[in-house]
Amino acid sequence: MGYQLPKALITTVVGSYPKMPEAEEAIRKRKRGEISEEEFHEAVKPAIKAVISDYLDAGIDILSDGEQSREDMVVYFAERIKGYEEGDWVRIFDNTYFRKPVIVSKLQYAGPMAIADWKYAQSISQGRPVKAIITGPYTMIDWSFDLVYGDRREAVIEMAKVLRKELEEFVKHGARYIQVDEPAFSTRPYPEEAEILREALEILFKGLDAKKIIHICFGRIEKVLPYILDFPVDQVDLEMKNSNFRLLPYLKEYGFDKELGYGVIDVHSLRVETVEEIKEDIRRILTLDILPPEKIYIDPDCGLKRLPREIAKAKLRNMVQAAKEVRRELGYED
Amino acid sequence: MVFDVEFIADVLGGYPRSARLRKALRKLEEEGEAGLAEVQRVVYEDMLVVVGVQLGAGMYSVVDGMLDWHDPLRPFAEAWRGVYIDGLLRWFDNNFFYRIPVFVEEPDPKRFVLAPRVKTLRSILPDWARIRVVVPGPYTFTKLSKNRTGRNDRELMEIIARLLAEEVRRAVEAGASVVQVDEPMFADVDAKPDEASEAVEAVNIVFKAAGNAETRLAIPYNVPSPDIYERILDVKAKTIILDFVDAFERGLKLVREKGVGGHELGAGVIEARNIYIEPYERFASQLNAIKSVYRGDRLLVTTSAWLDLIPFHYAVEKTRILGHYTTRYASAGAR
Repeated sequence: MGYQLPKALITTVVGSYPKMPEAEEAIRKRKRGEISEEEFHEAVKPAIKAVISDYLDAGIDILSDGEQSREDMVVYFAERIKGYEEGDWVRIFDNTYFRKPVIVSKLQYAGPMAIADWKYAQSISQGRPVKAIITGPYTMIDWSFDLVYGDRREAVIEMAKVLRKELEEFVKHGARYIQVDEPAFSTRPYPEEAEILREALEILFKGLDAKKIIHICFGRIEKVLPYILDFPVDQVDLEMKNSNFRLLPYLKEYGFDKELGYGVIDVHSLRVETVEEIKEDIRRILTLDILPPEKIYIDPDCGLKRLPREIAKAKLRNMVQAAKEVRRELGYED
Repeated sequence: MVFDVEFIADVLGGYPRSARLRKALRKLEEEGEAGLAEVQRVVYEDMLVVVGVQLGAGMYSVVDGMLDWHDPLRPFAEAWRGVYIDGLLRWFDNNFFYRIPVFVEEPDPKRFVLAPRVKTLRSILPDWARIRVVVPGPYTFTKLSKNRTGRNDRELMEIIARLLAEEVRRAVEAGASVVQVDEPMFADVDAKPDEASEAVEAVNIVFKAAGNAETRLAIPYNVPSPDIYERILDVKAKTIILDFVDAFERGLKLVREKGVGGHELGAGVIEARNIYIEPYERFASQLNAIKSVYRGDRLLVTTSAWLDLIPFHYAVEKTRILGHYTTRYASAGAR
């Protein structure tokens, strides 16, 4: 681990990256039962290698494996947790569908799910840390059908117990940054839902020796910001660019004092943000004096999976350059 | 036990697509016009299936299933000049996304959505079968759109209400006998009491166009807050439909404390967004509780939302139990 992270405005990614052809092919083969789980992760390695190569070219400080194995953020884990069955097709938008998984018996951990890809990514990251990323219990339950628990809180807590074992595995293998993705949380911005998630995060993270991160995006997060401040996490990663940084005054108002993953790249737009534009967006939060630059991590709003690879890479390259130039302006770099 | 309440049952709205319709639509996307006739044929046949399912389950009225609608706003937005369709946004608290209508000038209709559908259904259904049309409410429509018309949101909401009213007027003329306006925005965390009063005025424009048709206001996905609900009670609809699945106790409390303002109550008690098949005992106990706080002459029993976000065979089963449970419950009371 020879890489020295910058002292401020560390750059990172939320997780997913455009799917490489090798990953698409591996997913297809696994679905057809042509390869084992072990062979699957072996087959995905060239895709992960390409992702890491793009990150390194762009100059990202804290990386991910690009979630190349994950056809869908919920289905991937549901296929590997005992108690799930493959579901039928359910619409997400237009005529696009996914197989919404079904909980048919008590949930149980069946063994490592995402460790192999993370380990491989870490082994080729040239010393830069790689985040261990999982889909959180609230989102897993919300985007599944439940035929067993009949109570969302109970199901979320049981799921948290299962996922906790995966996080323990990550830490055992040396992960220093652990991120839990909870996009479903922002769809119900109510205190009672925040309490369910807080309880689940306690189970997930208690006593784990790693930086604990939650990623939340695309919703009315300001409604639950005071509750998020009570979450047992070190860092909250938020989408900002897409919503034109409207959360900033709320962060100030509520005295946000955790580390912040600050989204400056719109993952829903094909337009590549310029370096100047990103610098301006970084200066927005600095001007408001909400957090010191040491506690601000610069990243995209969300995963980059829906973008063409060249666009995703260009966006990251500009993001890194902008962070570097602002660091220099602030005297953190020569 | 003898009930002094009449019970009727209806699904709240749209149905999911069958596998063959999904495939036909994919082919249309890939091949363009060449696949259109095939899509129209499959939509027509599947519409007959979902209408048959509803009639067979003893529903009070039938919807055509809205099988070809990509989301509840899209067909209307696409039928109006001055509106284009933009990126995706989440549809309330669902893992489902709609495309944002962007109003760039005052919208006016290029064509009408509902009347041709009603005419098709009317031509094949017996006279006794009631046809229901469902439109998104002007409040929900406005709040989920981008307004770049230069007018304020209230003005745009009124314009949308008038367009929807014309849709409804023509649909009723074509043979629809029940008109339902969906306003999930009333129960949203961002709903505001002052907006709600204006929204009710806009919704009333739509209902006024319904003539002699039976009118319903549906509020799925959550229960409105009491201060918003007080304003909703001014709506000129025969029935107000509340979602009793998402927050049963809150729904019950609302009706107990605020009443229904002379409206009939629609109770969404069959869970539309999960495939769990609720046992009759739970259904009966919930209806008992609702009946204890509702004094109206008729109770509409329904699904908590549209059935379009569960797989097709579960939607069929949910329709079946809705009809079966309601009949069983009503019979138990009549004995």
